[in-house]
Amino acid sequence: MDALIRSLIDGLLLGFVYGIAAMGLTLIWGVMNVINLSHGAIIALGMFSVYLLFTALGISAYIAVAITAVLGLLFGIVIYFIAVHRVIDAPELSTLLATYAVNMIIIGVGTSIFKTSPRNVPLDLGSVHLGPAVVPTTRLIAALVAILVAAGLFLFLKYTRPGRYIRAVTDNRDAAEIVGVPSAQVLALSFGLGTMLAAVSGALIATVFPFTILSGGSYELKSFVIGVLGGLGNPVGSLFGGLILGDIESLVPLVMPTTWTPVLEFVLFVVILLVKPNGLFGGEE
Amino acid sequence: MAILEMRDVTSGYGEVQILWGVTLALQKGQMVSLVGANGAGKTTLLRTIMGLNRPWSGQVLFEGEDVSKLPPHAKAARGLVLVPEGRQLFTNMTVQENLEMGASPKRSRADFQRNLELVFDMFPRLKDRRNQKAGTMSGGEQQMLAVARGIMASPKVLMIDELSLGLAPVLVLQLFESLKKLRDTGITVLLVEQNVKMALAVTDYAYVLSEGRIEIEGPSKAVASNPDVQKAYLGL
Ligand SMILES: Nc1ncnc2c1ncn2[C@@H]1O[C@H](COP(=O)(O)OP(=O)(O)OP(=O)(O)O)[C@@H](O)[C@H]1O
Ligand SMILES: [Mg+2]
Repeated sequence: MDALIRSLIDGLLLGFVYGIAAMGLTLIWGVMNVINLSHGAIIALGMFSVYLLFTALGISAYIAVAITAVLGLLFGIVIYFIAVHRVIDAPELSTLLATYAVNMIIIGVGTSIFKTSPRNVPLDLGSVHLGPAVVPTTRLIAALVAILVAAGLFLFLKYTRPGRYIRAVTDNRDAAEIVGVPSAQVLALSFGLGTMLAAVSGALIATVFPFTILSGGSYELKSFVIGVLGGLGNPVGSLFGGLILGDIESLVPLVMPTTWTPVLEFVLFVVILLVKPNGLFGGEE
Repeated sequence: MAILEMRDVTSGYGEVQILWGVTLALQKGQMVSLVGANGAGKTTLLRTIMGLNRPWSGQVLFEGEDVSKLPPHAKAARGLVLVPEGRQLFTNMTVQENLEMGASPKRSRADFQRNLELVFDMFPRLKDRRNQKAGTMSGGEQQMLAVARGIMASPKVLMIDELSLGLAPVLVLQLFESLKKLRDTGITVLLVEQNVKMALAVTDYAYVLSEGRIEIEGPSKAVASNPDVQKAYLGL
């Protein structure tokens, strides 16, 4: 019983971190109907950003996470204008290819610089008691940061002018333009925010798990599963989807070999697509 | 000087040309109607003025300045405002949020409260429903909201595509009266209206568009008594 609760708590904490990565994916999809195939590469860049800031520059790990967030935002805006904007009105295949190209460039350059040897951020903050569970402090902090980021995004979208603009462009881009919203800038900002979420998620994962430049791929897949669970285009749903996935990941090892985790995740993915294509929390389309 | 002008403008969709050299001029403080059969190109004309469709050739001038190449949001910022066909509301936002979105241009923000009172005065219905999601309102209510959202922008030129669509006749009459009041405050109004008779009765000047060309223009009274117009649009 204790083992079960321990795994549940473990999974929940991880789930928040996965959740914000998925929020990034689903935000971009919701606003501009682009499936960002560079998502995983950006998660990996987030990991390496913290790694380099921490090990090479000696910057404290959580300040490095904050810096990574800012870099992620800026990088996303740059990617948008270089690779995505010119194909934004083209059929979806074009944006898929454009973001895939960005992915290949990042992975290619990253592999040649960092090779594929595993790294980790040597950060030991001890552990804390959460009920019956003893969890590494880094994992608790990662979850708290993820919750803060998610709450921040929610408040931003709901109460600020740029946030309102993002919702307006999501709803109806032409209408947003004619009431005076510079939609290209809003799209760039949204892409930047989506990228920021991926980078922060990667940064937080790096404080918990070892990683390589290729690690982003498996987290990208998780983001897709979570996105579909929570309903693509529904950032809040993503957070809940993240919790479900985090718990699957931590509960599976109790009953079967860990290698079954991705299998279960994708069975879930396919079942959701078949039964509730708008996600567990999605309405009718 | 005209506040809004089109000079020999052509435009269309993809390869299909719809407008074939349209020239028109709106004087400040005028209420002007644009009438024509279904498919004549009225919506295309408004979209081209707004920049949702790029002019292929010719010029659009706003306050004497060539704005042909400006994107729609930059035109809205200058006070050129469109209430589009099919309403194009933010359906997932509340009535209140839609009105706030209407007030996005900087020049309208100082007048927010005044404009809000004005539109709630024109459409008390919207005040009752201010927290309802726009997409769940009736067609008529959505039309009111679309017009109200346009007014929230403090327009210099307000262009309305299919004003009376879905509205009860009593309300349409009230709305025309409200628009006249707006006009009297110096706002220029360009109306596309299915009800040609009513449009010609309330506006100062009229253009008749036929197959992408301005066929007839003149003071609305004169246009209303033009035999061709009477035959084609007024069923006389
Ligand atoms: N997106 C589009 N792509 C291609 N052709 C279009 C498009 N929109 C309109 N058209 C064509 O352009 C022509 C003019 O259409 P437009 O909507 O401007 O007419 P309208 O005068 O507004 O008609 P209505 O009174 O029915 O609203 C029509 O033949 C229409 O089929
Ligand atoms: Mg039309």
